[in-house]
Amino acid sequence: MSRVLTILTACITIVVAMFGGVASAYLVGGLVEEHWFTGASRLTNILFLILVFVMIIATLLTMAERKWSAFIQDRMGPNMARIGLPGLKNRSLGGLPHILTDVLKMLTKEDFIPAAANRFLFNLGPILAFAPVFALFAVVPAGPSVNVFGHRVDMVVATPDFGMLYILAIASLAVYGTALAGWASNNKFALLGGVRATSQMIAYEVALGLSLVGLFLAFSSVQLPAIVGELGSAVGLGTGQAQYLWRTDGEFDLGLPAWGIILQPLGFLGFFAASFAETKRAPFDLPEGESEIIGYFVEYSGMKFGLFMISEFVEVVVLAGVTTALFLGGHHLPFGGEWLASQPLMQEHGWLFGTILGTVFWLKVLFLIWVQLLIRWTFPRFRYDQIQALGWKILLPMGLANVFVSGALVLWDPSLRALAVLGILELGVLAVLTMTRKEPAEAGGAHGAHGGAHGGHDTHGHGLPAGAHAAHAMPAHGAAHASTH
Amino acid sequence: MADHAKPEDHAPNPDTDAYAHESELEAHLQTKRMVINMGPSHPATHGTVRLKVELEGETIVKIDPEIGFLHRGFQKSCENVTWTQCLPYTDRLNYLSAMMNNFGFLNAVEKLIGLEIPERAKYIRVIGSELHRLTDHLTCVGATGLEMGGFQPFLLALEFRELLFDRTAELTGARLTTSFGRVGGINRDLPEGWVEKVRKSLDRGEELITEMDALLTRNRIFVDRTKGTGIISAEDAIDFGYTGPALRACGVDYDIRKAKPYWVYDRFDFDVPVGEHGDNYDRYLVRLEEMRQSIRILRQAMDTIPAGPIIVDDWRIALPPKPEVYGTIEGVMSHFKLVMEGIQVPAGEVYDSTEASNGELGWYLVSDGRGRPYKVHVRAPGFPVLAAVPHIIEGKMLADLIPTFDTINMIGGEVEQ
Repeated sequence: MSRVLTILTACITIVVAMFGGVASAYLVGGLVEEHWFTGASRLTNILFLILVFVMIIATLLTMAERKWSAFIQDRMGPNMARIGLPGLKNRSLGGLPHILTDVLKMLTKEDFIPAAANRFLFNLGPILAFAPVFALFAVVPAGPSVNVFGHRVDMVVATPDFGMLYILAIASLAVYGTALAGWASNNKFALLGGVRATSQMIAYEVALGLSLVGLFLAFSSVQLPAIVGELGSAVGLGTGQAQYLWRTDGEFDLGLPAWGIILQPLGFLGFFAASFAETKRAPFDLPEGESEIIGYFVEYSGMKFGLFMISEFVEVVVLAGVTTALFLGGHHLPFGGEWLASQPLMQEHGWLFGTILGTVFWLKVLFLIWVQLLIRWTFPRFRYDQIQALGWKILLPMGLANVFVSGALVLWDPSLRALAVLGILELGVLAVLTMTRKEPAEAGGAHGAHGGAHGGHDTHGHGLPAGAHAAHAMPAHGAAHASTH
Repeated sequence: MADHAKPEDHAPNPDTDAYAHESELEAHLQTKRMVINMGPSHPATHGTVRLKVELEGETIVKIDPEIGFLHRGFQKSCENVTWTQCLPYTDRLNYLSAMMNNFGFLNAVEKLIGLEIPERAKYIRVIGSELHRLTDHLTCVGATGLEMGGFQPFLLALEFRELLFDRTAELTGARLTTSFGRVGGINRDLPEGWVEKVRKSLDRGEELITEMDALLTRNRIFVDRTKGTGIISAEDAIDFGYTGPALRACGVDYDIRKAKPYWVYDRFDFDVPVGEHGDNYDRYLVRLEEMRQSIRILRQAMDTIPAGPIIVDDWRIALPPKPEVYGTIEGVMSHFKLVMEGIQVPAGEVYDSTEASNGELGWYLVSDGRGRPYKVHVRAPGFPVLAAVPHIIEGKMLADLIPTFDTINMIGGEVEQ
């Protein structure tokens, strides 16, 4: 019971904290627009979005991951670091003080550089791994553009014309850090890790870009704000993911929104799997592969290792943010958005409206982060050649087919409804595949042979019959299974 | 290479000598092999073993397992102590299933003496052995999951293992190094209410095994990584001297508990799982099923265990009861002689084997009749299993080495004596 209460308290705290964060982002944005110069809010957005939101979530993630994995694994999780302040004495605070101890540990460790390492490149590695992942978030809109104090405030740092291409370009820079770290350490294990990371990135860059083409076609844009879209109002219909495919008539708008995941389920799976591979976390953690090759950062210690570590977590946040903006409707509510926007209170206080939608965005981001943690703690690691096969033989053809089918459907029916019908069908097939308790046909044959090892010897009728194992397939397993294949 | 037939090609020609020859251009890019040391301290080496791996890219060209980092002079140590005092040394052979080593050794000594132990002692030995077979398999299967990146199965396995270690501690007083049993029987009876506790632990354990099974057995990534990797054929396995789960995974139905039943194994109804392909996946499945069978044996043994003495009533072999030691001169004398001189095992030699968790645990004992072993040799199941690693893994990928090394389950302590 107390655990449930703790979790509830944590949830409410998180929502309130986010609400406060987004609200101050909007208000400060409005203030600087008023007092400094037009466009100053973009500068404060850098501060709020990247330094406050992404960095703090990433930092908290180091804790959340340990705590969440502990819940998965039926253990307590970190709870021993305590602060001796009055009122807080001997409270574990959900393990939060561990973040502090982590930082202290990283900062006070010896900064070790191997004698044979290339010092310049060795030092450059963590920086190159760390910087690009932060820059990624610059083009992700984290809230609607609203009027605050009579000035228009966008919740995005930059809106370049090349939009998503910027993300693809910067994301591929991150591999230099990993490759350099592997090579400059002058360690064979690290070198193997660096080589693995490089080949993995190359294989998944292609699938990553390709899986998005269908979405670009559907929304005729590569800019994230355009893909997220503007809410419809009395003046015009919604655009981007804010439009409805089908909706009820009436004051309160209820309907099926044109979210990316409905239009492009295959694109979503491909993008999620490929970008998961880019984050280098299990089941794609081959560059690390701690039980095989220890990892590309084996020679790094202290805060340099910490940079690699935190850049992984930042990648998780950024990946969740980009996926939310592209496929989960960004900051839009699934329904009722137009109704909310037309309320007099919201019309009057733009920042309040922006804050609500901004909180929605960050909640979606948190959900995706949670999914990533779940996958990370449930799956074993791929093998080097299997990961290449998945990238080149499954994700790439899937992405190509998706591009052609989506393109044809968008041409045929520009209202996107045909695309949505196909998408819902695909989602249905995926759900059925996930729920089904039999193995797919191709794997089924192979398993039948192995059934001999398992059920064949059971002449006394004690052990489980061969089919009974299917019943154990856990939902999480199935769902994630579908997303990686 | 036909160019070489023309003599003019060999004449020095300053214009063309600097260029690459045509054959060189067509040749494959020259690659360098990389030698890496996995171990002696590496996350994936059980115990301490060094694998010298020669890599071409990620493919293993040559691998050389090197043992000796855990050498403690087991055989020589045994020659300097009495037969009973050998027990603590046997604990440290396969430290995950110490009781099986204890009982295997005692069984061999009893065979050398020609001694029949009481019924209840046999049951307790079966119970102890199967408990430790479970812990050993749990560690192996859990670690397999762990080293492939799946942390969850490992913790499930460890939860069950902890339960079993608690039970072991209640039974023997130690979690790992049990030193349980004495020549002629068992030194301590089952504690009060212990059987009920074990039943409860097994109930929970079955749930945990089922959960582990659900996480791994049908997990596509796990299956991809284990099925068809680390294959050894039945013939090769026999040639290398494989026994236990690794051999049975190749399809050879050989289990000493069935083939040559000792203690009371012939009274229990259990199956010996046999694989087909001899790959990592089959070894994993065999171990998983063996755990279920062990639980089955345990339940039957605990249901049918008879009452009675737990050690032979022979003061030349077993220590006299304490009241006799304190109250009678005969008791004091036998106690003194047993402790100071040891059990007078008749001169002779014997080979005896039991089915330990990783295969046939054989004991070759020689006695010269003076109360101390003249020679103790262990046929450790881990040794042939490790010896075959180069045969299995050469030409395969580096990543295959990990599951293979996990599922053959070589234990450093018993390999090095």
